[in-house]
Amino acid sequence: MRVPYNWLKELVATDLSAEEVAELLTLGGLEVEGVEEAYEALGPVVVAEIVRVEPHPEAERLRVCEVSDGKDLHTVVSGAPGLEAGLKVALALPGAVTFSGEKIGEVRIRGVLSRGMILSPYEAGVSEERDRILVLPREARPGEPFYRALGISEPILEVAVTPNRGDCLSVLGVAREVSALTGASLRLPEIPELPEGEEIRKLSEVEVLEPELCPRYAGRILRGVEIKPSPFWMAKRLWMCGLRPLNNLVDVTNYVLLELGQPLHAFDWEKIEGRKIIVRRAREGEEIRTLDGEVRRLTPDMLVIADQKQPVALAGIMGGAESGVGEGTREVFLEAAWFQPSSVRRTARRLRLSTESSYRFERGIDPEGVVRALDRAAALILETAGGEMVPGRWDLYLRPHRPPRISLRFSRLKGYLGLDLPPGETAEMLGRLGGRVELKEGGLDFQPPSYRHDLGLEEDLIEEIARIYGYDRLPVALPVGELSARPPEREDRLLARTRRVLEALGFYEIITYSFISPDHLSALELPSGDRRLAALRLSNPLSEAQSVMRTTLLPGLLDTARFNYFREVSRLKIFELGRVFFPGKEDLPEERLHLGFLIFGSARPGFWAEKVPPADVYDLKGILERLLAEWNLEGLAIRPGSEEVFLKGGWSFSLVASGRRVGWAGALKGYVRARFELPDPVWVAEIDLSALLDLPEKPKLYRKLPRYPATSRDLTLIISNSLAAGEILQFIRNLDIPYLERVEVVDVYRGEPIPKGEKSLTLRFLYRSPERTLKDEEVNRIQEEVSERIMAHFRARPR
Amino acid sequence: MTEKELEELRSRALKELEEVRDLRALEEVRVRYLGRKGLVTAVVKGIKDLPPEARRVIGRRANELKNELEDLIRRRREELLRAAEDQAPGVDLTLPGRPYELGKLHPVTQILQEICEIFLRLGFDIARGPEVETDYYNFEALNIPPDHPARDMQDTFYLENGLLLRTHTSPIQIRTMLSRQPPLRIIAPGKVYRCDSDVRHTPMFHQVEGLLVDREVSFAHLKGLLTYFAREIFGPRTRVRFRPSYFPFTEPSAEMDIQCVICRGRGCRLCGDTGWLEILGAGMVHPHVFQAVGYDPEEWRGLAFGLGVERITMLRFGIDDIRLFYENHLYFLEQF
Repeated sequence: MRVPYNWLKELVATDLSAEEVAELLTLGGLEVEGVEEAYEALGPVVVAEIVRVEPHPEAERLRVCEVSDGKDLHTVVSGAPGLEAGLKVALALPGAVTFSGEKIGEVRIRGVLSRGMILSPYEAGVSEERDRILVLPREARPGEPFYRALGISEPILEVAVTPNRGDCLSVLGVAREVSALTGASLRLPEIPELPEGEEIRKLSEVEVLEPELCPRYAGRILRGVEIKPSPFWMAKRLWMCGLRPLNNLVDVTNYVLLELGQPLHAFDWEKIEGRKIIVRRAREGEEIRTLDGEVRRLTPDMLVIADQKQPVALAGIMGGAESGVGEGTREVFLEAAWFQPSSVRRTARRLRLSTESSYRFERGIDPEGVVRALDRAAALILETAGGEMVPGRWDLYLRPHRPPRISLRFSRLKGYLGLDLPPGETAEMLGRLGGRVELKEGGLDFQPPSYRHDLGLEEDLIEEIARIYGYDRLPVALPVGELSARPPEREDRLLARTRRVLEALGFYEIITYSFISPDHLSALELPSGDRRLAALRLSNPLSEAQSVMRTTLLPGLLDTARFNYFREVSRLKIFELGRVFFPGKEDLPEERLHLGFLIFGSARPGFWAEKVPPADVYDLKGILERLLAEWNLEGLAIRPGSEEVFLKGGWSFSLVASGRRVGWAGALKGYVRARFELPDPVWVAEIDLSALLDLPEKPKLYRKLPRYPATSRDLTLIISNSLAAGEILQFIRNLDIPYLERVEVVDVYRGEPIPKGEKSLTLRFLYRSPERTLKDEEVNRIQEEVSERIMAHFRARPR
Repeated sequence: MTEKELEELRSRALKELEEVRDLRALEEVRVRYLGRKGLVTAVVKGIKDLPPEARRVIGRRANELKNELEDLIRRRREELLRAAEDQAPGVDLTLPGRPYELGKLHPVTQILQEICEIFLRLGFDIARGPEVETDYYNFEALNIPPDHPARDMQDTFYLENGLLLRTHTSPIQIRTMLSRQPPLRIIAPGKVYRCDSDVRHTPMFHQVEGLLVDREVSFAHLKGLLTYFAREIFGPRTRVRFRPSYFPFTEPSAEMDIQCVICRGRGCRLCGDTGWLEILGAGMVHPHVFQAVGYDPEEWRGLAFGLGVERITMLRFGIDDIRLFYENHLYFLEQF
C-alpha cells in the first residue's frame, strides 16, 4: 500500500523523516519496501530552457518552441500563453504521463513534429492552475527533475501489509502504528456536525436479513449534489496512492477508504427501486451487472445489497452498474458497512473479483469506525459536491463487536522472551495499542481495540510487547536441552553415496521441474498400460509444458541435454536425483525417489594429445558397475537387455533386485533422439532408488592380505561370435576350481586370422594358496584340466 | 719419471677433468690417463723398471694419482649424469595437462548440504515428507483455515484430484510432531511449489524447515540459533537483525535480515537501498499448531524457521536470475 508521508504526518504528530518512519515501521513489523518520490510517477519531466519561440506556420494560436534540456534541443508545439525565450519550464518528454493522465509521445501537430510538452502547474501535479505554464526558478539546472528544481517532494512509503494486519490498510492505520511504536499522539480528521434527526427514516427503508454476514450497516442520504471533478488536493492524494480520480463522489469514497480504511459505496438514490435497501443473500439464478461492465451470475451463498426489485451491489466487493453514480446523479445514498470477512472473500474468489473494498473487508475493518467514516465521507461530499444532507443516519448495528478479554501471565511472557519486564512497562506498551489494560496479580487483562482482529491469544500479546520493545533489544541465547539424536535415514545415506560416486565419475548434478510436458512423456511412445502414462495432472499449471507430474526423470534429462546441445555443449554427463509421482492407492500419490543419468559425446574429457572416442556401451556398463559396487547391496545385479521400447535392443541393460526390475539403461532410439534433437548415441539410465531401500547392505569384512605370490595363466579360445563371455565366466565359477582367486577377460579379438563368425577370447586365471607358494607343475595341471573342460563344453578351439 | 713430472701430469689431468662438459669427453680423459695405454697406466706399469728408491716413492705417488683420478672421474660422471637429467627435453610445459574429470553437485544441493550440516552439528536430524500434500497438512493444521487471507501469501498448485503441491516444507513439522514425541529437533529440506514465475520466482524451489520443541524454549534461543546459522553461512562477521512479521503458524513471528552482502549496509540495488537482505522467516510455534498435533502448549514450546535455499545460494554466489538454476546449462553448473 502506498502511504503519502505528508498525509501520514497530518494524522500523527511525528517529527521523524520519511526514511526514519520507514525504518521504524519495518522494525516494528510493518515492512516498508521502499520510499518513493510521487513526482517520479510522472516519468521524465525535466527542467528545460526555452531557446526560441516562433509562430506555428499553420496555426495562429500555436507556438513552436525550441527547448533545451541541457543535452538536446527539442521542438515542442504549445498553445500555452506566456512562452518566452529564456524561461525555465517543466518539459515532459515522450514516455511521461501527466497528472491528468495524458501520455506524452511524439506527435505531429499541424505538420510540425512535437517531441514533448511544456507542463502547466496542474499537469505537473503542483497546483490546480491549468491555464498557465509552470515557470521554474531561474537558477534551475536544465535536465534535472523539475520537482527538485522547485524544492518540492512528496515521499510515498510503499508498505507491505501482512494478511493479519488489515487495520493497517489505511493512512490512519499506519499512523496508529507510528503512534504505538513512538508514543506520538494521533490526530483524527475533524468531522463537522452533521444534521441529525429522523427524516431519513421517512424517505428510506433499510433491512438487513443476514446479520451474521452483515453485522453493521449504516447510511446517509444527500440531495442536490453536483457531480464534477474533485478539488485538486483530493485528486492529488488519490493520484499519489495510485488511484485515478474520476468525479467528486467516487473520489470521496476512495479518499475515505484510503484515509480511514473503511470501504464505502455511493448509490444513485433515484435508481433504487422502492427507496428500500435490503441486505440479503442472492437468489439462485440472479444476475448483476457490476460497475466494471461484467454480468455476474450469483448463488445463494453470496451476500448482495438489493432494492425491492434486484441486487444493486455485491456486498463489500463492487456496486452495480445501474445504480452507480454518474453525471446525472442528484441524490445519493452513501453506504458504510461491516461485512463478514470470510463471506466477502468467498464471493470475491468465486467471482474472481478482487477490489480495494473486498481486500479490506476480507482482512477485517474497524466495526466501531463505520459511522465515523460514513460521516467523514458525507461531510466531504457536502464540501465538494454541495447539496444538502437529509437529517439523520441509518445505523443497524445488529451484532455489536465484543472485544475479547485476553489474560497475560508475566511468567509466560518471561518464558517466551527470556526477559523480565516490569509489569508497569508491559502495561504501558500494550496501552499504546489503544486497548484497555488491567493489571492483576502475576499478570494483566487486555481488551484490544476494535480494529485489531488479530489479537486473541496470550501469545499475540507477547508478540505485541516484543515488537514494541524491539526485537533487536531482546536477549540472545543458544538452545539447551536433552539430546534426541537419531541415525540418518537409509534414504539420506543412499543419496549421499550416489552423489559422491557420480560426482567422482565426472557427472554434473541437475535439478529439473517436477512437472513436465505431457508431450515429452508421449514422445517416449510407451506401450498403453505402462503406469508412467498415468501421470497426475495439475489443475492450474502455469503452462501446458509444465502440466503433469513426472513419472520418469527421462524427459527432464532429455530436455536439459537439448538445452545444452544447442548452447555449445558437445559432451555432457548429467544426473538427477528426484521424486517421481504415481497416482496412489490411498489418499496421497506414491512418490518414489529416482536416479537418472545421461551421457552424450565422449565419456572422458578431450585432450590435445589423444583422441577420445564417444561414450560406448561399456562406459555405460562401467558406470553402472561402479554404482552397484559402491551401493554394496545384496541381490542387485545388471542384466543385458531391457524391455524399454525407447532403448536400442542390443544396447540396453536392466537392473534387477532379487528378480524385480528396478532400473534400465541403454542407448536411446532414434525416434526419441529426433524428438529432442540430440546426436547419436545418447546413453540414458533410470533407477528406482526407493526400491533399493529394502535391500540389505552386504557386510564389509576384512580378508587377510595374501602372504604368498599368485601365479597367473592365460587361456585364449576361439569361439562363436554369438557365445557371450558371461556364459563362460559363469561356467568357470561353477567349476569350483582349487586355488583360483579370480578370472578376468583380458582380450576379445575379431578379424584376421580368426575366421568370420568367430572371435578369440583371452582369459586370465589367477591362482593363489593362502598357505604356500604354488608349484608351477601343480598350477599347470589344474589349468590344463580347466582348459579342457571349457573347450569341451563350449566346443571352443585353442588359438 | 720424476716426482715433478708426476706432479705436472696430475695438474694436467685435473685441469682437463675440470674442462670436461659431457660424458664422451670424460671418457676420453679417462682413456687418456687411465686406459690400457693411458699416461698414468704407463707410469704404473713402468714402476718396476725404476730404481728401488724411486720405485718406492714414485710407486706410491703413481698409485695415489691413479686412485685419485678414478675417484674424480667417478664423481664427475655422477655429476654429468645428474646434470643430463636436468636438461630440457624440449617439452612444452605451457600446454594444458591431461584433464582428470570430477563432476559437481548442483549449486542448490551444495548450499542445501551446507545448511543441513550446520544444523546436524547442532543436534538436529533430518525429516522428510511428501511433496504432494493435502490441504489439511499444508494449511489447516498450520493454522491457515479456508477463506483466510493468509492463503493469498502462497499461490498454490492443485492436482485435479484436489490434492496440492506443498507450498512450503512446514507440513513436515506437522507430520513429524504427529509421529514423534517431544523433545525434538528436526530440519526438513525439500522441494516446494508455488505458481509464480519471473526473474525472482520459479514455480519450484527448495526450502529447509527447522523445528525445535522442548520445555524451556524462548525467542532468545530462536535469535541465538539463527544468528549462529547466518554467521556459519555468510561469515563470522555477518550482522543480522530480526523484524516482526506474520506467519499463521508462529506467534511471535519474525523475519531475519542479514546486512547486504554486496554493499555491507551502505545501500545498493540488490538490497533496494535498505542495506539489509531478508533471509528467512521464523517464530515460536503457534499454540493452535501444537493443539493440532496433540502437544500441550502449556508444557511444550517450540521454535520454527523456514528458509529459501535458492535465495541463500544466489546471495552466496552472486547469481541474479533464479531461473538459471533450472536451465542446468553446463557453463553455469561448472562454476560452483
